[in-house]
Amino acid sequence: MLELSGIGRRYRVGAEDVIALADVDIAFPSGSLTTLVGRSGCGKTTLLRILAGLEQPSEGEIRRSDGRPARIGVVFQEARLMPWLDVSANVGFGLRGRVPRATAQERCAAAIGLVGLSAFAAAMPAQLSGGMAQRVAIARALVQEPDLLLLDEPFAALDAFTRRAMQNELVAIWQRRRPTIVFVTHDVEEAVLLGERALEMQAGRIVGREEIALPYPRDPTDPDVNLHRRRILARLMATPAPVPD
Amino acid sequence: MPRFTTITVFAITLALWWLASRSGWVSAFLLPAPATVAETLGELIASGELLRHTLVSLRRVALGYVLAIAFAVPLALLFVLSRRLRDMFEPLLEFLRQIPPLALMPLLMLWLGIGETQKVGIIILSCFFPIFLGVRGGFDSVDRKLIDVGTVCGFSRSQVMLRIVLPSALPAIVVGLRIGLGYSWRALVGAELIASSAGLGYMIVDAENLARTDIVLAGILVIGVLGLLADHLLRLAIRRSAPWLAGDLEMARA
Repeated sequence: MLELSGIGRRYRVGAEDVIALADVDIAFPSGSLTTLVGRSGCGKTTLLRILAGLEQPSEGEIRRSDGRPARIGVVFQEARLMPWLDVSANVGFGLRGRVPRATAQERCAAAIGLVGLSAFAAAMPAQLSGGMAQRVAIARALVQEPDLLLLDEPFAALDAFTRRAMQNELVAIWQRRRPTIVFVTHDVEEAVLLGERALEMQAGRIVGREEIALPYPRDPTDPDVNLHRRRILARLMATPAPVPD
Repeated sequence: MPRFTTITVFAITLALWWLASRSGWVSAFLLPAPATVAETLGELIASGELLRHTLVSLRRVALGYVLAIAFAVPLALLFVLSRRLRDMFEPLLEFLRQIPPLALMPLLMLWLGIGETQKVGIIILSCFFPIFLGVRGGFDSVDRKLIDVGTVCGFSRSQVMLRIVLPSALPAIVVGLRIGLGYSWRALVGAELIASSAGLGYMIVDAENLARTDIVLAGILVIGVLGLLADHLLRLAIRRSAPWLAGDLEMARA
């Protein structure tokens, strides 16, 4: 279990404090798949960065029930591949020096195979399409065999077909390995298709929660999926969006 | 560019040169024919004079270039690491950057004399800024998002530096090194213009005083060829050690 209590994050912009997150209390059960959904700029990415350890909260605390640090894998909005490394080296980027070379190669090959890029293991990032690069980034996160997998709108730049395939693939990986997944998206349909629960964010706060007890794989045209989608949308639309100063 | 096209462009230039001197469009004194220059070049090679001047110039360029790297790289790294130092000294360096090294020649002669130090000094001044700016710009422009990847992988500061920052900065550093090398060749003739007794620049100036335009042209050709060769060797070394920089190398044509 990963618990966040009273998490807040403020930024100093000029003479003013801008609140990016406030009073965030959430618990992510081990092996759960949670989606965070909300408008752009509502604090989803900040929350994910805090979970990844890339930012420190201004207040509040994060606790793990087992007390040990989590192995974290992160997939960002952009692939963020090292342009000087080929696909295989990019995937194994975090493994070098940590696991024996043969094990690293084996795990890399398996992760690359999982995202369907075995034929491109020796390709350089400049030779890949946006979708392929993002799949490499997913493989790079998976190869760490993370306890906690954080994904920040990872499929936003993909075409509809690849996105759908990748969503199914992610669910399959989660069902097989059961890492705790936090998936950030601004697409309500995606939040319903993937999450066991969807947390709704607005202006830096968690403003709603939808439990989605539907079997996987989920179909976007399923009336139950639509029902959850409508409920989340209704709540998010009812909460007024923050007005920029 | 395909090798065939490159050779064709060189051949056309040579043909135009030959035509201009052969047809009398330009006086043979002002522009000696290619054959005359080739003949002079042969004589200079046979007498050992060209080799002597070339070795002196090569030594000056190599020394100036290496010393410029030795000064520019640590200073750029200091500027990258210390914001305060940068804020203090950057305006002064920007001021110095605007001054052509040749304009400092009279002062350098007074300070350093007319020996090797002054000549190497001119070359250092010429190639210092491209190298300095390349290194500083390279480290400044490292994408923070790539550093995030290292942080998530649990890298230490030194691992982030070696595995992300340095390779990210390398393209700009390479551009700076390549431009710097080009500038060092350009500065050579200027450095050897005054109070010199050897070197390709001296050979050219001496020939001009004797109205030997064939030697002037032979010297210019040799400097061009040596510059190209040095640039080619640098590119080859970079291509071997960092093949992903091939695209960036083309940006560094100064």
